[in-house]
Amino acid sequence: MTQESIVPPSLSTHQDDSVFEFDRAQTKNSSRKHLHGIHKSGQDLTEAIYQYYSIDNIANFINQKEANADGKETFKYKAITLQFPDDLICDSATIVQALQDRNQTSEKASEKREPVQSEATIEPNTCGKCQNVILNDEQQVWILADTSYSPCCVDEVAAEHVKSDLVVHFGDACLNPVRSIPTLYVFGKPYVDEKKVVQDFLSKYDNDREKKIVLMADAPHSHCLKGIYDELIGSFPNLVYADLSIDAGSRYFVAGRELTGAGKVFKELNRVVLGLNDFEKLKDITPDEEVEFLQNYDLFHLGVPTAPKLLQLTTYFQDCVLYDTSDYKLVTGPFPNLLRRYKFMNVARTAGTIGLLVNTLSLSDTKDVINKLSHKIKSAGKKYYLFVVGKPNVAKLANFESVDIWCIIGCNQNGIIIDETNEYFKPIVTPYELLLALKDEVTWTGKWFTSFNLLLDEMQKEANDDNASEDEGKDSDEDEAPDFDLVTGTFSSKSRPLRRLKHLQISQESTNSNDDEGKLVKKLSGAVVLNGTVSTSAEHLQQRAWSGLGSDYDASGLDSSVGALVEEGRDGIARGYNYDQESTN
Amino acid sequence: MVAFTIEQIRGLMDKVTNVRNMSVIAHVDHGKSTLTDSLVQRAGIISAAKAGEARFTDTRKDEQERGITIKSTAISLYAAMEDDDVKEINQKTEGNSFLVNLIDSPGHVDFSSEVTAALRVTDGALVVVDCVEGVCVQTETVLRQSLGERIKPVLVINKVDRALLELQVTKEDLYQSFSRTIESVNVIISTYTDPVLGDVQVYPEKGTVAFGSGLHGWAFTVRQFASRYSKKFGVDRLKMMERLWGDSYFNPKTKKWTNKDKDADGKPLERAFNMFVLDPIFRLFSAIMNFKKDQIPTLLEKLEINLKSDEKELEGKALLKVVMRKFLPAADAMLEMIVIHLPSPITAQNYRAENLYEGPSDDASFAAIKNCDPRADLMLYVSKMVPTSDKGRFYAFGRVFAGTVKSGQKVRIQGPNYTPGKKDDLFIKAIQRTVLMMGRFVEPIDDCPAGNIVGLVGVDQFLLKSGTITTSETSHNLKVMKFSVSPVVRVAVEVKNANDLPKLVEGLKRLSKSDPCVLTQMSDSGEHIVAGTGELHLEICLQDLQNDHAGVPLRISPPVVSYMETVEAESSMVALSKSPNKHNRIYVKAQPIDEEVSLDIEKGVINPKDDFKARARILADKHGWDVTDARKIWCFGPDGTGPNLVIDQTKAVQYLNEIKDSVVAAFQWATKEGPIFGENVRSVRVNILDVTLHADAIHRGGGQIIPTMRRVTYASMLLAQPAIQEPVFLVEIQCPENAIGGIYSVLNKKRGQVISEEQRPGTPLFTVKAYLPVNESFGFSGELRQATGGQAFPQLVFDHWANLNGDPTDPTTKPGAIVKEKRERNGWKPEVPGYEEYYDKL
Repeated sequence: MTQESIVPPSLSTHQDDSVFEFDRAQTKNSSRKHLHGIHKSGQDLTEAIYQYYSIDNIANFINQKEANADGKETFKYKAITLQFPDDLICDSATIVQALQDRNQTSEKASEKREPVQSEATIEPNTCGKCQNVILNDEQQVWILADTSYSPCCVDEVAAEHVKSDLVVHFGDACLNPVRSIPTLYVFGKPYVDEKKVVQDFLSKYDNDREKKIVLMADAPHSHCLKGIYDELIGSFPNLVYADLSIDAGSRYFVAGRELTGAGKVFKELNRVVLGLNDFEKLKDITPDEEVEFLQNYDLFHLGVPTAPKLLQLTTYFQDCVLYDTSDYKLVTGPFPNLLRRYKFMNVARTAGTIGLLVNTLSLSDTKDVINKLSHKIKSAGKKYYLFVVGKPNVAKLANFESVDIWCIIGCNQNGIIIDETNEYFKPIVTPYELLLALKDEVTWTGKWFTSFNLLLDEMQKEANDDNASEDEGKDSDEDEAPDFDLVTGTFSSKSRPLRRLKHLQISQESTNSNDDEGKLVKKLSGAVVLNGTVSTSAEHLQQRAWSGLGSDYDASGLDSSVGALVEEGRDGIARGYNYDQESTN
Repeated sequence: MVAFTIEQIRGLMDKVTNVRNMSVIAHVDHGKSTLTDSLVQRAGIISAAKAGEARFTDTRKDEQERGITIKSTAISLYAAMEDDDVKEINQKTEGNSFLVNLIDSPGHVDFSSEVTAALRVTDGALVVVDCVEGVCVQTETVLRQSLGERIKPVLVINKVDRALLELQVTKEDLYQSFSRTIESVNVIISTYTDPVLGDVQVYPEKGTVAFGSGLHGWAFTVRQFASRYSKKFGVDRLKMMERLWGDSYFNPKTKKWTNKDKDADGKPLERAFNMFVLDPIFRLFSAIMNFKKDQIPTLLEKLEINLKSDEKELEGKALLKVVMRKFLPAADAMLEMIVIHLPSPITAQNYRAENLYEGPSDDASFAAIKNCDPRADLMLYVSKMVPTSDKGRFYAFGRVFAGTVKSGQKVRIQGPNYTPGKKDDLFIKAIQRTVLMMGRFVEPIDDCPAGNIVGLVGVDQFLLKSGTITTSETSHNLKVMKFSVSPVVRVAVEVKNANDLPKLVEGLKRLSKSDPCVLTQMSDSGEHIVAGTGELHLEICLQDLQNDHAGVPLRISPPVVSYMETVEAESSMVALSKSPNKHNRIYVKAQPIDEEVSLDIEKGVINPKDDFKARARILADKHGWDVTDARKIWCFGPDGTGPNLVIDQTKAVQYLNEIKDSVVAAFQWATKEGPIFGENVRSVRVNILDVTLHADAIHRGGGQIIPTMRRVTYASMLLAQPAIQEPVFLVEIQCPENAIGGIYSVLNKKRGQVISEEQRPGTPLFTVKAYLPVNESFGFSGELRQATGGQAFPQLVFDHWANLNGDPTDPTTKPGAIVKEKRERNGWKPEVPGYEEYYDKL
């Protein structure tokens, strides 16, 4: 008896292997650029990695013991998180293994290690918990990868997920303070051909040997500054160099190098300047005076800093020369332009809706900055929405069309977006620029800073000035004069949506009766009021031409008794509908 | 002694039939302000001796110093007419007294926007033409503008004294010169006339042309002489007027009128105009200027001119002036033309309403405007801002088209971007005071009814340059003025001292208010830009900014021009971009838009606010567009109004309507900052050929579509032979023949292109017209003066945008160099990105 099998109707699109052939995730070949010059081909890669990260230093640090209350010696750090930026994650496996080896030194010293070749074995994963490795009965190690915010900062939130008591931070770091967690910085020691640098430096500044120049580098390259400085100081009497500044007694530690030497600490740069003759005199100068002091100097920077950092450096120094250590060439630009920031500041002046884009959770003072900024925005009569977005990009931000301008709150090294080519739909400003924009008077001094410290100082200063002159509550049903938009040269009636509330209410009273008690949303002459405040984004939605499914359905010309004809839709998957293929042919 | 009181004027305002709103328009230096003086003098505001020299309406110091008008100035005058004259008025009137609201406008092309603002609030125009120079480029421009606004012209041929004294022409030559000038004015009128206005050509025999001398304060119309002679000959005045112009001759022997220039014996006859009109004037001139003292008294007696005893002592020109002013007072001739031939607000608003109002022609506001109803809801158009003595504050100057505006009245102030039902650009405010604008003075009045021109105090903070003031919640805007000139010359300004920045900012705002056309913007690289229509305009603006509005020392960059980005061909292949999540794809092609269509969009003939069917009709009938395409215009850009279009050419795409808002937003963005060097895009049409969208709404939101639409617009433009456009001036130079060589050599050096060279009939003067790129025009006047020994003065007015030959992506070409420089200034990579940057492979 032939049995006809009952086939269920196919509800999904037919798929076979060919569908999935497009665009597979590409396996990235990590070339380990950072090891260039250290790892010679043919050599054991692990050796190079150990050397680069000073692995013994890290191991020693981790293996520190301390006596607890009852006198027993235990490990000082029990839950250790290793935080890697994307470009160093390929080394994580090797490092963890090395740490394991060194932890159990006694019995496993002789055991032969598998040399790790070039391929990364660990997939990036945001969840730290999945990657824990047990070192011994007391210590555990987690690997943190794909940092949600900026990789230069210590990802405290992720570390707290595993109740970590030490973060080992690999790679370049901004050295900005985090709230509470002890941190061991491992910058790595990239190879730099110091002779070549000295040579190029000489040829650049040969004409002007009296020039005041600061030598500086990003965190990994800072280790070679001393050597270069010693080489050059003979011929350049006014040369100084800026090493990393980490307080000896703090929660921050550095593996693999000594930070010594007394000099003037420049907090905004997180650097200590060495080689100054009279640095003692400069001890107690204010941040403003620090900037003034740096204005006399040129900067010679090893490595190319990120745009926000670079912009900040250009405002501090008279002239900036960048030296790319990967190809030993001077970088000529284009550099980010401070005047463009002035433009965006002016755009912010007439923006009605501001998106506060929080791109950090671990920097200290973040909350304070957000609170103070939002208060300021509100009192300026503007509307703000708060967003926490990790790794913001064009597509993410363009989803919020009603936002007129974004203010990004994040680390000043990697967490700020300086949109040089107008790639973003709406401009992005820094908190400092927003602060200027919320002032009544347009000011622009050429100063530009991104650190929260200075920002809070500035806000405090302003608050003191303002205290006297707070006279709100002009009780008039007339509208306030609009703001002049310097960018377009027109009046902007939307720059202070909250201030116009009164006028809206008046027009409502005259038209509506008071029976909308239970309603969540009140509609007032075109504006939507939610919970007693204007919602500019609801207003924006009202202005859209498309207001939901069926809103574009044109019933005219259809016979209701017959109904519409069924049309065949589209099939396939989003990657390439069969319909799509036809139209391109 | 002022011959009237403010109460009298206020009283007349209510009798709208007896109001005449008119502007004085002409080419630069043809004598508008001087002629206006005669009228002002008649009103008793300035003394007769000063008239013609005071230029009362030139209120600014620099206007007096430079001798040119920069700002238009309004003044209200009271005029009493004879019964005789009142009878001839073809529209409803009441009594013999009339109110003339006069606006004197600048003649220099750079200030054309002032003329536009003046024309909007007036119904008639007194066109002044220099009888020696004839019709010039600006005469044509202002006439075209006034006819576009449905404003009726009358003509004054000025500076006749020059023809008589300097050129010593004969009577017949003068007649020929007059008739040629009238002819050329009529040619322009008939070219640009609006059929609704009827026949608005000017005819001396109908009394719509006056001849005179503003400087000497005399003028006449044929009608005046006809009145004199009609009594003498006992003929009807109208008939007499016909006979005193054209091919009409009087045979003194037979005492017969004929239209042949020879009598029965073949002897030449003198033209009636020459014989009866010009002859007494010529005789007076020759007697006085040749010091024939014995003849003068008899002549004066014949012409019934009585001189005072001290005036009798005068000689030469001084005597001539006094005599002529008594014989033919200029104010009489002009007032007669204005009162009899120009329409009252009631007459004019009846046919102007549809041109004035943006809203539908069946709503209450429209009806109120059409009927000029003083009891309806207020409709007031503010056409410009006039600075007050209080620094930084302005009178909003405008015309009440309906209703009555009162001090203390609460009104709705609607800016140019207001749309009914929305609250953008809408403010509610009480009017503090209403004032009457009297040249450099103002007089407070309590209220002002429909049909009159008024100044408002207390609304200046809400309107930048112009706007609509109304009391009705449903009123649409009065139409926004379109200027014939464009601010294409720009400079960057910065403060010398950073602490002065707030003052500069405030100054830029004030400057922006004080001039109808100037633009103050910020460039992409963060510089404050001031843009004007020409070098003179910019010079005045910057001077005002530095000395007055900002009052701080400024650093000013050399002038530059603004460029546009465009395409020259259709995209060589379909441009495709994928959304960041790779799940949405947009396929488009770019192609150029015909220049005529772009111009129509810029002029507002093709308008995003119009009904799409009506718009499609124009595009299909006038420009040969495919009707389906024309109906499927998704948007204009940039700013929702610019001359770039998105056309939906897709078929059966699911969810297409859902992404329309995102596409529109992206297109505004992409056309505001083009792919080549971030300038505005012009004349580019983007056809959306196909769209693939993800089936889940969450994956096809704005975040995915907006960047993609921008990318694909860029890709399609870069695939379609991108080009840049530069602004081009039309130059008109009047000069004697020997200077032409010099003109040509300067033009050649500056990439100029001569389009015509004509001799003005009856004069040794030549008129050269040429196109000159704005970029090359800086310092052009100076060089021209040098090359021609100061004999040639150019008039430059923005004419069109022209594609700059050469590939902008190749830095060795001229456009390429411009692009590279701008990109570097913005801190971008110097190379224009290839289309591959924005193009995705499927």
